[in-house]
Amino acid sequence: MPLIRNGEEAVNTWLHVETGEAGETPNGITVPLEAFLEKRDTLLARNTPLGVRLEPDDDPCRLAGDLDRLSLIEIAFPRYTDGRGYSTAQLLRRRLGYRGELRAVGHVLRDQLLYMHRSGFDAFETERAQIACVQDALGEFSSFYQPAADGHRHVFARRHT
Amino acid sequence: MTSVRPKLKPDVPKAITAWHTASGEVVWMTPKGDWTSNPDALGVFTGEVAEARLADARAAEGEVTDPYFMEVSETGEIRGRETLRETIRAQGPTTHPEFAKGEAL
Amino acid sequence: MYRYDEFDAQIVHDRVKQFRGQVARRLSGELKEDEFKPLRLQNGVYLQLHAYMLRVAIPYGQLSPRQLRRLAHVAREYDRGYGHFTTRQNIQFNWVALKDIPDVLETLAEVEMHAIQTSGNCIRNVTSDHFAGATADEVMDPRPWCEIIRQWSTFHPEFAYLPRKFKIAVTAAEHDRAAIRVHDIGLHIRRRGEAVGFEVHVGGGQGRTPHIAAKVHDFVPEAEILDYLEAIMRVYNRFGRRDNKYKARIKILVSETGAEEFKRLVDEEFAAQRPDEKVELPRAEIDRIHAYFAPPPLSGRPARSEVFERAKAADAAFASWAEVNLYPHKQSGHACVTVSLKPVGGIAGDATDTQMETVADLAERFGHGDIRVTHAQNLVMPHVALDDMYEVYRALEAAGLASANESLITDMIVCPGLDYCNLANARSIPVGQAIQREFASVEDQRDIGQLHLNISGCINACGHHHVGHIGVLGVDRKGEEYYQITFGGRADEKAAIGEIAGPALSAEDVPPALKRVVNRYRELRTDPSERFIDVYARTGLEPFKEALYAADQER
Repeated sequence: MPLIRNGEEAVNTWLHVETGEAGETPNGITVPLEAFLEKRDTLLARNTPLGVRLEPDDDPCRLAGDLDRLSLIEIAFPRYTDGRGYSTAQLLRRRLGYRGELRAVGHVLRDQLLYMHRSGFDAFETERAQIACVQDALGEFSSFYQPAADGHRHVFARRHT
Repeated sequence: MTSVRPKLKPDVPKAITAWHTASGEVVWMTPKGDWTSNPDALGVFTGEVAEARLADARAAEGEVTDPYFMEVSETGEIRGRETLRETIRAQGPTTHPEFAKGEAL
Repeated sequence: MYRYDEFDAQIVHDRVKQFRGQVARRLSGELKEDEFKPLRLQNGVYLQLHAYMLRVAIPYGQLSPRQLRRLAHVAREYDRGYGHFTTRQNIQFNWVALKDIPDVLETLAEVEMHAIQTSGNCIRNVTSDHFAGATADEVMDPRPWCEIIRQWSTFHPEFAYLPRKFKIAVTAAEHDRAAIRVHDIGLHIRRRGEAVGFEVHVGGGQGRTPHIAAKVHDFVPEAEILDYLEAIMRVYNRFGRRDNKYKARIKILVSETGAEEFKRLVDEEFAAQRPDEKVELPRAEIDRIHAYFAPPPLSGRPARSEVFERAKAADAAFASWAEVNLYPHKQSGHACVTVSLKPVGGIAGDATDTQMETVADLAERFGHGDIRVTHAQNLVMPHVALDDMYEVYRALEAAGLASANESLITDMIVCPGLDYCNLANARSIPVGQAIQREFASVEDQRDIGQLHLNISGCINACGHHHVGHIGVLGVDRKGEEYYQITFGGRADEKAAIGEIAGPALSAEDVPPALKRVVNRYRELRTDPSERFIDVYARTGLEPFKEALYAADQER
């Protein structure tokens, strides 16, 4: 599936391994949260990049101690109407200080990209979105009323600087 | 949240109704398979033909929105559990008789 | 009232452009209806029984004459000459073509209006007291905080795909006219000495499982209120149910979790916020927004207006209207005027383009340019001098806007029902009109006194039947319309959910049955000042239930 990272099309070299048993592969892998917590030491001992995929009801705070060892966190959107992933992303970026790649996967559509970006996502796996369309989607607004994970100064503050 | 639509058995005569996407106007499928805003011109379908026509309507989803079956008599009068709703849909709100398309309720 | 600065104007302009693109993609077939639906809903566009419906936001129910004239223009040019004011203090247009909606939004943006978040599973229009800034029983004007909450909630990236819709109401008055206890969040502004803070109620709501909100905080200081709201919203977004849309509102989370535990979760989330997660709301910004709501310059006038008194003596209908539709203003010699949109036999909340223009003109000439929409679907001019009242009345009367029935039995809240709504099971408006005709006499209505009668055409309860002193709920019985009656609901500071009396009645049985109920009330009251709802509190359901079904026993 096409991958957009930092606003540009990128090659996706990552594999998602549902069981957490990756075998020999040079690629980076992501595993479910439970698998990560269970096989943490084995997984961290691998020589390839490691990430975790969070489902909507996963608590990102359970990764608090391991964030600097993860190169990728995927947040799954089984349906785009399920908005829990936005809170997960904000928690990771703003509360827990995660700095690595944060990728939206699953039902990721053009009209949710800006909210996702504001919530802290910097990468999107999406069937439809073309690069031009992503840029359009991310540029639809230039001012925002509330602070979020994208670092924009919000309007309440901008009015007084 | 749309109201629950009753499931109609294959042999029950049915019409196919939807909304014209650009205008929102209520439309019905004619016997030939195109769309009309005149409820007197709707087509009556049954069985596999009805299913095939509904599938066509769903495929033409850009022109019309949310097509579904409604129960009618063999001659095309609105029938069944949703008679009141479908009559209001066909004739306009009972509170505004001046908007009526067909005969008053 | 608030005026847009360049940021507000840009955001609304960007939204119009964005929505224009979304509509174009829908019309080209690029977007399927199931993808487009949440997008259009977040901009107030529904597909109803007959057509698209556009719901335009009227933040906390406040309008300027210019805005109301523009709504009249939209009604005339893009609809069928009328609009429908709603219980969320908004307006709906019932016949707008999708292809025209971007143009409608553009013309509204010119007068600082929009349809942002008037539907969808996001934070909806913030509602408030329609007498805000004019009533003596408030500790401050709540509108500045409504505006701050409006801005904070607009396009909030984390809370656009909540489990279900989310409604916030704010009051600052002892008498609650904003129904805060039946909102997802109800805020009551309090003062402690010089400090301003918010009493927070969470988890109220109507629909199929009505709940009165639980108080979760006595006093959140004003500087922290947005952070506290963020904490509530995050707990709801993460833990609210998504498996069943009928159990997805925050009221279910609060009741299933327990109010204590819910409060603990919110407090825990609030305490965990890091300094850079806080919503920075500079004092200068709070002051800037407050400044827009400075009271109008009402000249000192004597409490008694000779012109007003003379007119009342000469015109009994005016005297009657003045007694029923005026509410005391905090400034002597003035009153808040309710412009009733409930003529007998009319459609509750509907106003034609020319009626809107009449009210806009009157507000400009006599009302300091201030117009409000009430949650009971009327309009209000909150600052009118008694000296001008007769002239205002005559103009309203000429426009068919002078029904003297504010809070009386014919001043009903009525949802659009099956005549318009895709969700309804039964019609609401016709049964409301039939009830109105049963109680058409003004003298009779005044003798009955305050009686809130609310009608919904389905269990979603848009007509607020749960909190009507008398509630009427339309149900479908094998294709036939029936109406279930409830008694004892109220939406004020003593909020309560009505009790179901018993089996539903047919449409034609409802008016005579309610006539018997009202007559029973008149027999039971100790004196005319004891309202229906007071008698109900004293006697309970039984005597009213008995009166409601009395016809069955006669048969």
